[in-house]
Amino acid sequence: MRNWQYFQQIVCTNMQAQIIPMLFILWMAHILLGQIPDRRMAHLVKSALACLLYIFVISSMGAVCYITGAWNWMNHTGYSIWEYFTLVCLMPLLHFVWRTSPRNCCLAALMVEILASYAVLLSELYNYGMFYDLSDPAQRKSYLFWLLIIHPLFLILCGLIIHISGMGKIYRLWLEQETVHKGILCLLVLYPLFNYVLLRKLYMEIPTSYYLLLPLFLLLLIHLIFVYVGRDSQQRQYIMAQQASLQQQTIYIEKMEQIQQELRGFRHDFKNMMAGMYLQAKEGDLDAVQNFIQEMTGDFDRQVGEQIRLLNQLGNVRMMEVKSLFLDKLTKMQQDQINCELEVLNPFVETRMRSTDLCRCLGIFIDNAMDEVRGRENGRVHMMISSLDGCTTFRIKNTLYGTVDFGRLGRSGYTTKGMGRGIGLENCRRILAKYDFVFPFTAVQDGYFVQELKIQE
Amino acid sequence: MLPIYLCEDDEQIRNAERLWLEKQILIEDYDMEIALCTGSPEELLDCLAKDQRQGIYFLDVELKGSSMDGFRLGQEIRKVDARGFLIYVTSFADLAFETFRYHLEALDYLCKQNPEQMYAGLSRCLKSVMQRVEREQGGQQEYFTVKTLDVVRHIPLDEIVYFTTSGSTHRIELHAGRERLDFIGSIQELEQRLGEHFIRVHRSCLVRADQIAQIDKKNHEILLKNGERCPYSRNMRKRLLDLS
Repeated sequence: MRNWQYFQQIVCTNMQAQIIPMLFILWMAHILLGQIPDRRMAHLVKSALACLLYIFVISSMGAVCYITGAWNWMNHTGYSIWEYFTLVCLMPLLHFVWRTSPRNCCLAALMVEILASYAVLLSELYNYGMFYDLSDPAQRKSYLFWLLIIHPLFLILCGLIIHISGMGKIYRLWLEQETVHKGILCLLVLYPLFNYVLLRKLYMEIPTSYYLLLPLFLLLLIHLIFVYVGRDSQQRQYIMAQQASLQQQTIYIEKMEQIQQELRGFRHDFKNMMAGMYLQAKEGDLDAVQNFIQEMTGDFDRQVGEQIRLLNQLGNVRMMEVKSLFLDKLTKMQQDQINCELEVLNPFVETRMRSTDLCRCLGIFIDNAMDEVRGRENGRVHMMISSLDGCTTFRIKNTLYGTVDFGRLGRSGYTTKGMGRGIGLENCRRILAKYDFVFPFTAVQDGYFVQELKIQE
Repeated sequence: MLPIYLCEDDEQIRNAERLWLEKQILIEDYDMEIALCTGSPEELLDCLAKDQRQGIYFLDVELKGSSMDGFRLGQEIRKVDARGFLIYVTSFADLAFETFRYHLEALDYLCKQNPEQMYAGLSRCLKSVMQRVEREQGGQQEYFTVKTLDVVRHIPLDEIVYFTTSGSTHRIELHAGRERLDFIGSIQELEQRLGEHFIRVHRSCLVRADQIAQIDKKNHEILLKNGERCPYSRNMRKRLLDLS
């Protein structure tokens, strides 16, 4: 009976002490995952309950371990097992709250756990080596001062540093190239063991002052790894951008040559036409001369004007990735003899949406438009980019030949194109769910199928 | 009577347009008048500030000697006259017309390079304006108007199937027969604003009553006429069963 009460007391104290680290963990997860969780009331309530459950499980297991002395099993190996245990609890929690892929959650849980444990360790530096006797009012006061003021302050400080240093962005960049960094991944997975060896075992044998250096040293190490990885991926992106620009230039030159060819052809025709016109003018046939001028301007527009116009519009797209995408699609459409137009009235320079996500969505829209129109008569694909008053609009529209079932559009498996298709728009929806400043719009208007993305800048 | 406003910096073309329009109004007996013929957008805007009516505007895109181009002028006109008819007259065939139509709801554009085409275009525009005006006076269709950032969209009220809350806060998905879009709003406000035709079947779902096809009691779901499903809450059950 007495044991039971003792256990309850410990659980309660643990739970209180866990609340602040819990908030810190959620904050870190938010930074690392870089996503907005579903903010509907029901989900928020469920998430809060899940967090409470997590705190309760951790607290009661902690109490059990404390009472049975499990942490000190096998020469402190218990601590490592404990670290793994908290990780295993944290992963489903993140998965539940953020609903991202299990892989993402596992990694994020690991990183969050590392960040949190170091932040907590740093905050413990303040009262390192002190053992509070909570029955003494003065000591209890000093303990509470630490718990309620110093501890949260340290966590907030650490959090701010992590937030400002843009760690979340670097982390997500790093996630995209997992193949290269399997080694680091292993290191991270082994981290609890590592942690145990460095912190729990070594510190028993070394002077106290070194203990202060260990977490700092580890933080530095992790920071260096991230900086290295970030630099690496930046370089990679730089190379990719260069390649893209090279490719663009090649296509551009090809287009210019094409225009030049057409101009040469036109020059030839032009000479003949002028000769004809000269004769007619000499005879005083004004109507014929007027017709001639009209025909000639029309011809010029048809033969050369269109290419020049397209290039002009494309010149207004200043964001490399998007430009590449449009250039690629325009070339493809010309190859497939699809009637396509592009309008970019004002220069489009940048957007808040991540370029990979943006290009993926636009690519899906344009591919869908091309598929609908390809091989049909009088089909037309029209693309518009408009940056105006702090807001960017991408609008892709194509002639529609069938009907669209809006009830099922964007669900997995709905397609107008036969078996095995219809995942594009579903992917799009999933990508867009991450952004609360992007507004999609889909409609059928005047015989056209219209897809639109509006981004608040 | 619909006023017609002309803004064109080339005097010769301006006069040609004016003459042709006056002739058309006489021949077809349209209920219109030429209110202003000018080369300066400021003058046009001053005139509009005094007299606010739905008008027809023939605007040049490139306005020499003015701080404004046709697009800016269109934006300014839209602030005063939301329902007017904007028609752009340009010397370039490569006008970004879709962009103009998208942002300014421009009706048409004409190419002044070729006088015959321009005249034909002017007549066509007047005709289609008349048709639109008649249509507006005829059947009054109710629209749901929603603003997403910089555009205002009008969706026929009877085509809306349902509204639902999306993942993040204050964000509503609208599902209609021919449209689907996201906007910022709250479902409570929508419920109050739209009134009787719509039922709040669930905390996250506002459905147009006549779009409900079936009630699936087993799964607590409503089957809509377009094949979609949405959940309903327990206390709505009686009201739903009364409906059917």
